Amino acid sequence: MTALAAAFSGARSGDAPLTWGQRAIWEAIERTAPDDHYFNFGRIVQLGARPASVSGALWALARLVERHESLRTRIVDGRQALAAAGELTVVLGADPDALLAELTATAFDYAREWPLRVGLVTTGAEVTHIVLAFCHHAADGLGAEEAVRDLRLLLLRGEPRGSRPPQPLDIARWQSSPEGRRVAEEAAWHWEREHRRIPPTMFQLPSGAGESPPIWRAVLRSPAVDLAAQRIAVQHGTSTSNVLLTAVTALVAEMTGHETVAMLPIVSNRFRADTRGAVSTLSQEGLFVLDVEKVPFAELLALARPAALRAYRSAYHDPADRARVLAEVGEDRGTPVHPWCCFNDMRFADHAVYRDDALIRRALGESSLSWPMSQEQLNCRFCVHVSGTMEVSVTADTRWLSRADMERFLRGLEDRLVEAALR
Amino acid sequence: MKERLAELVSQACDGQLTPAEVLTATVPLSYLGVTSLAQMRLIDAVEREYEVEIDLGGDVAFLDSVAGLAGWLAERAPAAR
Repeated sequence: MTALAAAFSGARSGDAPLTWGQRAIWEAIERTAPDDHYFNFGRIVQLGARPASVSGALWALARLVERHESLRTRIVDGRQALAAAGELTVVLGADPDALLAELTATAFDYAREWPLRVGLVTTGAEVTHIVLAFCHHAADGLGAEEAVRDLRLLLLRGEPRGSRPPQPLDIARWQSSPEGRRVAEEAAWHWEREHRRIPPTMFQLPSGAGESPPIWRAVLRSPAVDLAAQRIAVQHGTSTSNVLLTAVTALVAEMTGHETVAMLPIVSNRFRADTRGAVSTLSQEGLFVLDVEKVPFAELLALARPAALRAYRSAYHDPADRARVLAEVGEDRGTPVHPWCCFNDMRFADHAVYRDDALIRRALGESSLSWPMSQEQLNCRFCVHVSGTMEVSVTADTRWLSRADMERFLRGLEDRLVEAALR
Repeated sequence: MKERLAELVSQACDGQLTPAEVLTATVPLSYLGVTSLAQMRLIDAVEREYEVEIDLGGDVAFLDSVAGLAGWLAERAPAAR
């Protein structure tokens, strides 16, 4: 394959501890190796009616990497190492999807390789697509969106947005300041208090139906889930994200028999003025706890709202604090405590409209279930992902939840939401 | 102060509601599409501007209206007095 290079020369180099978000993803990567390519993800930037020249695309990519220090930061000996200058390898290909699959197929060499792999799709002399594959320590989904937006602006008008975005090096310094420590300690207190009362884990009974490999993913494509969640959100004055989180929590309670359910929602951590707009991995797990016992769904939705706010705030935490309080609580309770149960709403928009009965009923016929993935390692037992409009997937360790139960969960979620919407 | 709070709400939800709409709302803001994520941005903005700390452990219903927020701040925030 032909390869080109985009030479960049940024304003500074530096070295700092990992930010909380970097450390959280770094720990997940280490636990998931050698299947850590799982965390790679990408974006296909379609240039549409305004294709670029190859040299123009290389120029824009270099400016992008200069602007966002995260894209020239590597992880060396457990610290972030920012380089000022270097060359980004850019490969050429014919098909954007194939190029993205190829660029995300293998794990990054975290200490030596730039955390961004790039491909260009060309027709003649014109670049029609720029394919970006991100190492997850450099960006999360929203961070990638920021990068894509800046790349488009660089291509269109030769410059990115005006203000200098927050950089991981500065975020790491703030996090270790007295103000950062105060925020961290408040979050640690939430983790500790809730870990003293939640069940040790959510899926604690062996399924007796472990597969080889043990990790499977089931995806339900369900327009009905989307429409029903929207209607419920409007009816109850909440967001579709809260509706889905609450419904998943209620179903986990049913499946496991737990009266108190703990979920770990993946939270963007972009609420703060000093993190917004950053290309970095800021998202971390928060701790969402709901006492589900015999509470009707409508009431659960009301309880879920303040619980979600507490979970979101707890997501901006120092993973070292969390590890420490978990160890202390585990010692005191005589058993390790970890939900191993997470929820990741990856949608960028959450706009709810009141949908009518007929539309929701009709959509029920359009659902389809598939099993797109299986692998050896996962640092969780039960992960729910929500994307697009509307794909809900569950990635589970079949040693704790059988494939039949995974399917039952997804179908049950759809039934539950449609029933609540039409009630 | 209510006008300023309405501006902060409007910014927190990326302008999906105008300050005027926020001020004249007769239902909780969450019914107008102020999501939990927007509410978190609002909390950050209010904490920075009024130098207060919002405890999410208790009743947080005051976050759902400008009048609620103004009342809460009037009791606590030096900058709001």
